[in-house]
Amino acid sequence: MNRGLIHKSLREVWPATLLCGAGLMAFEVLFTFFLRSFQDMIDVEILKIDFVRSFIEGLLGSDVGAAVSPKALDALALVHPLVLAVVWAHEITLCTRMPAGEVDRGTIDVLFGLPVSRWRVYVCESLVWVCAGMVVLGLGAAGYAIGHLAVDVKAQAGLETLFMVVVNMFALYLAVGGLAFLTSSLSSRRGRAVAVTFGIVLASFLLTFLAQFWEPAKTLEYLSVLKYYKPLLVIRDGAWPMGDIAVLTAAAVALWTAGGVFFSRRDICTV
Amino acid sequence: MSVIVAENLTKHYGRRVGVEGVSLSVPAGTLFGFLGPNGAGKTTTIRLLLALLRRTDGSATVFGLDCWRHAHRIKADVGYVPGDLRLYDWMTARDAIGIFGEVRGRDLTGSGLKLAGRFNLETDVRVRAMSRGMRQKLGLILALAHDPKLLILDEPTSALDPLMQQVLYDELRTRATGGATVFFSSHTLSEVEELCDRVAVLREGKLVACESLDALRKRASRQVTVRFKDSEASRSAAVPAFLDVSERRDGLWLGTLGGPVMDLVKWAATMPLTDLAISEPNLETLFKQYYRQDGDGS
Repeated sequence: MNRGLIHKSLREVWPATLLCGAGLMAFEVLFTFFLRSFQDMIDVEILKIDFVRSFIEGLLGSDVGAAVSPKALDALALVHPLVLAVVWAHEITLCTRMPAGEVDRGTIDVLFGLPVSRWRVYVCESLVWVCAGMVVLGLGAAGYAIGHLAVDVKAQAGLETLFMVVVNMFALYLAVGGLAFLTSSLSSRRGRAVAVTFGIVLASFLLTFLAQFWEPAKTLEYLSVLKYYKPLLVIRDGAWPMGDIAVLTAAAVALWTAGGVFFSRRDICTV
Repeated sequence: MSVIVAENLTKHYGRRVGVEGVSLSVPAGTLFGFLGPNGAGKTTTIRLLLALLRRTDGSATVFGLDCWRHAHRIKADVGYVPGDLRLYDWMTARDAIGIFGEVRGRDLTGSGLKLAGRFNLETDVRVRAMSRGMRQKLGLILALAHDPKLLILDEPTSALDPLMQQVLYDELRTRATGGATVFFSSHTLSEVEELCDRVAVLREGKLVACESLDALRKRASRQVTVRFKDSEASRSAAVPAFLDVSERRDGLWLGTLGGPVMDLVKWAATMPLTDLAISEPNLETLFKQYYRQDGDGS
């Protein structure tokens, strides 16, 4: 670790991190209020419509089946596209700052005029990314919990179950961040690294969505990171999704390490 | 003892040659000028020394350590100013001095602020609000503040006014007197001539000269003006082999001396002359020869 590098990175990322965390928290609270307001109507009518049911299944990435209930809708707060968009946008922005962003804006010359190895810079940046993820997801989870404490939702995840989902989501965060670090290490243009990473996670989201009602997509679903993040099943069963967490964490470690290896060996050209 | 040693240092970017077979040695305590026209490979060489690029072939050491494998150890004693300096736009000079000190594990506030005073730089202005000259000053302060044993400066005066250039030259001379080595890249001969005691010249990725400025001066040509007592004397005189006459008019010869001064003096003593002028050695002409694309420059 290097205190100066972490200090520099924190100075650069804290406003966006707090903003995203606060936004996520506000969304979770509001979404819970929304659920409560429409709870009865959802209970009785809407879930019986095939299209709505398929749409919800697509979003949840799970076959709702017998689990059709307000509890299933409750899980939407944790897998809503807006939630994923905010979390991913934040972390892709953060993870492509270095090396692609630093090379792109030319500041890496000054950075590597300092007595720090490339791995040390990479690890310090990664530490800030992990901490930022904890803050953003922590605030999001707090919003979810506050929303549920404040209103009387019929069926809700307990704190322990919520913790399981958040850990699963954090593993997803790590996998997407690992991918962003890899693309960033392979690129000298931040815009390109952002576009490639965002393209892959968007494709991943669509694949999971389509897999719920389109057979060809189902056969490829294992390639999607969202295949390994199913809050509905965790909330329903109350069991740790150890397999999913393991797959996501392994992918994160592999992608992050590959990024570090590429970065430590590549040429750095800013001109 | 040599601080920088490069042997057959080569860098290819795909098919394009960055530098090819560069061998040089920079003795400790010297002000070493690194000259070459734009695109000659000066920055590539510097980036190889700083492990921003991986060499294709050859070797390079700084303080006796391999540039690639021990880059971070080497940089503890190196101050570097890149040619195209970019700094974090949210930083002020005070922030930068503090954070760079933290990265280096030393408190640089005192020396940094002292240098800021010397370079007349406001310390509480953000980089995004600074002029190019102010940014360049900040880059120099950050490179000098930890009192490095080696300074690698890539065209450091490009954005400085003449006054600040002089401040920098004085600072560098002081550091060199104190034992630091300065590796000063430039494409401007005059500043290298003013500051440095040794010089290497790069052209199209290859080293075409590496010696002391005194040695170069001895090899540099001198402009000669010969005035005969009348036009007739000028016309009848035979041009000696050591004189390359480029212009003749009204009893006046203008040319370049291609041999020892004494030969010219002896020849002049036998001629009906009214005046003879021999200029100081002209390094510029020599460097133009080095820079020239069509000649071999040596």
